[in-house]
Amino acid sequence: MDTTLDDSHDELGRIARQLFDARCPLTSVRQLEGDSLGYLPALWAEMAGLDWLSLTYPEALGGSGGTLVDLSVIYQEFGRALVPSPHLASAVIAGETLVQDHSGNHGDLLASMVAGDAIVVPALMEPDAGFGPDAVTMAARTTPAGYRIDGTKVLVPYAHVAERLLVATRTQASPDGITLVLVDPATEGVAVTAMANIADAPLFEVTFDQVVVPPEHVVGEIGRGWSLLGPALDRATVLRCAEIVGAGKALLDLSVAYAQERKQFGRPIGQFQAVQFLCTDIAIASHLTELLCHQAAWRLDTGLPARREVALAKSYASRAVQRIVHCAHEVHAGVAFMVEADVQLYTRRAKHWEYDLGEARYHDDVIAAGMEV
Amino acid sequence: MDFNFTADENAFRKEVQAFLDAELPSDKAFNHEFNEDADLWAFAFEFTKKVGAKGWIGLTWPVEYGGLGRTQTERLILAEEFTARDAPMVNMIGWGLAAGALLVGGSDEQKKRFLPGIAAFDRFWAEGLTEPDSGSDLASLSTRAERDGDDWMVTGQKTYTTWGHHADVMFLAARTDPDAPPHRGISVFCLDLKAPGVSMSPLYNMAGGRQNHTFFDGVRVPGDMLIGEEGKGWSYIMNAFYAGGGVGARHIEMRVMLDAVVEYCKATTRGGGLLIKDPMVRSQLAELELMVETERLLTYESLSNATNGRPPQFGGALGVVVSKENKPLFAQIMSQIVGPLAQLRQGSRWAPVDGGPEAWYRWSYANHAGGTSQVKRMVLATRGLGLPR
Repeated sequence: MDTTLDDSHDELGRIARQLFDARCPLTSVRQLEGDSLGYLPALWAEMAGLDWLSLTYPEALGGSGGTLVDLSVIYQEFGRALVPSPHLASAVIAGETLVQDHSGNHGDLLASMVAGDAIVVPALMEPDAGFGPDAVTMAARTTPAGYRIDGTKVLVPYAHVAERLLVATRTQASPDGITLVLVDPATEGVAVTAMANIADAPLFEVTFDQVVVPPEHVVGEIGRGWSLLGPALDRATVLRCAEIVGAGKALLDLSVAYAQERKQFGRPIGQFQAVQFLCTDIAIASHLTELLCHQAAWRLDTGLPARREVALAKSYASRAVQRIVHCAHEVHAGVAFMVEADVQLYTRRAKHWEYDLGEARYHDDVIAAGMEV
Repeated sequence: MDFNFTADENAFRKEVQAFLDAELPSDKAFNHEFNEDADLWAFAFEFTKKVGAKGWIGLTWPVEYGGLGRTQTERLILAEEFTARDAPMVNMIGWGLAAGALLVGGSDEQKKRFLPGIAAFDRFWAEGLTEPDSGSDLASLSTRAERDGDDWMVTGQKTYTTWGHHADVMFLAARTDPDAPPHRGISVFCLDLKAPGVSMSPLYNMAGGRQNHTFFDGVRVPGDMLIGEEGKGWSYIMNAFYAGGGVGARHIEMRVMLDAVVEYCKATTRGGGLLIKDPMVRSQLAELELMVETERLLTYESLSNATNGRPPQFGGALGVVVSKENKPLFAQIMSQIVGPLAQLRQGSRWAPVDGGPEAWYRWSYANHAGGTSQVKRMVLATRGLGLPR
């Protein structure tokens, strides 16, 4: 029994922190808000060189056989430094889905993703903003030339720089009826429109108007898409939680430092129990998220069932991240409301993290379903 | 990183389960209404002696002091299995606090004189720390122990002496040097509660238990009943519980209760549908599940820090805060799920889950024992996060 990271993880975390501090300080994070790319291609290439775009892939597919726990250590640093990056969308969700595809049709694309040359992003959510297999309703109809898709996907990250979109479509009414297809956003009938959002993040509406997808662009088996996508989403969910942990730790450091130096009524505000208790709330929320996140990652690495543990982690993390930013704002008061403060950078991203990959309500239901049986 | 127990540890768990199968009839378990019932007490004493005979009271203590020299992990497994069955193992002040203080600060002679007895449950120990004017600020305690030749004369008052009227001896903290700084002038003793000058008056708590005021009017304590060294009592108290092997398995207690509430929700129809299908109930069940899970992980984290020789994170206070604050919250959410019948107690045929939600709600306000959550938050803020005092 040891719930703690190993020394090798600590070393990996140090490397990631140094890299992000050097290449993506918060000044860059600010510049990238609303930027035409929304990420740093040089850092992306560097991560490819470190094998971080394929860390957990099998070695035969260009991976280095790393674990999800390894990757979660890097994700804590993503969260701490607020690195804007298509990593979760491309290297994790799309990449880990393609890794499980055995059609032989997508090897070149995956190789190009591993090399850092191609970005592939999932297009999952529809205008009703639901998450999970039941929320996939966009139909793909059979035509002589292949599948024809019509409809709209929302909150698609980095669609503007993607080589391909990994689109979840419905080919049958049954729960199993989800088919994944790769679509080039430059295809006739595809329109990509930026969605104005709280963090000026690269999130897009993608509409498909009579877009025809040839059969060889299907990923996995027809009607069996969720069996590939689901596991990739579970893994991405754990990493999103790790990102929240890193952000929580950063906000704890910021808040404790501010409470130590800021003086009111003739003493540091950190002497007031009301302020101390806000800081302890941040510590508790981050730490419990971390424990849940590590457990879920470890179970996935060990090959144990982990649906429940993933849901526990994200249900908690979605609420925790709001508790954390709330307390950080209470400690910093007016200062954190100003754009020049760093706290608000976390606050605005926290909204996306709270909802992404299933909000608390969704995962609560997964947890309850597990208790029911 | 490894969240599993080893094969040997799992084998020990089986051994504990077999012991409980043999020695603990279900009607003799600690229950929600554990009170002054003489039969329950007689069984608890008998059962605890059997645990002692197995060597499990002093499971982690060195062999030369009556222990078995086993691991903290096995001690947690024991706690988990005992908690799962509500096993009535009494004398926590003896095997937790007194034995811990002896292991931390006792001389070799003292350890040999006291510990084998505690391991066999030869006497029942009461707690003698809290005073009417010294609760959270325990170091301000004013009960005096003054030298009289080789002996000590004790005068003062303790309070909340849980089950003190059943006890033989008291683990007493008293001020031996009124001129030293508060934390440095305290010593701890084993005080015979049958000695002349000791008296008690009852205090009944709302969970059905009896606590007491305990008065000392010139009570003579022999010199060899001073535990450890004079003036070092505070540091013994702070480190005792863990040293004695006192690990809690509250997550198991919560697990058992939550499982029962889930069964209730699966079997109960309200407003035309099963409770378990109500989205609000589902969210509340998930919230309770998260409390159980996070407390379990905190317990395992603290165990793995201890067994791998790492200092506890956050001044050791984070898990305590979480557990203390969860206690009433858990009881309240559970009552909300169950609904109006949750006010019924054991004895009513309508009481859901055998009156568990009602009893837990009352019990949950015992969460101050060992220090309030506010005090623990102050420790977390200052020692754990480095905020100024």
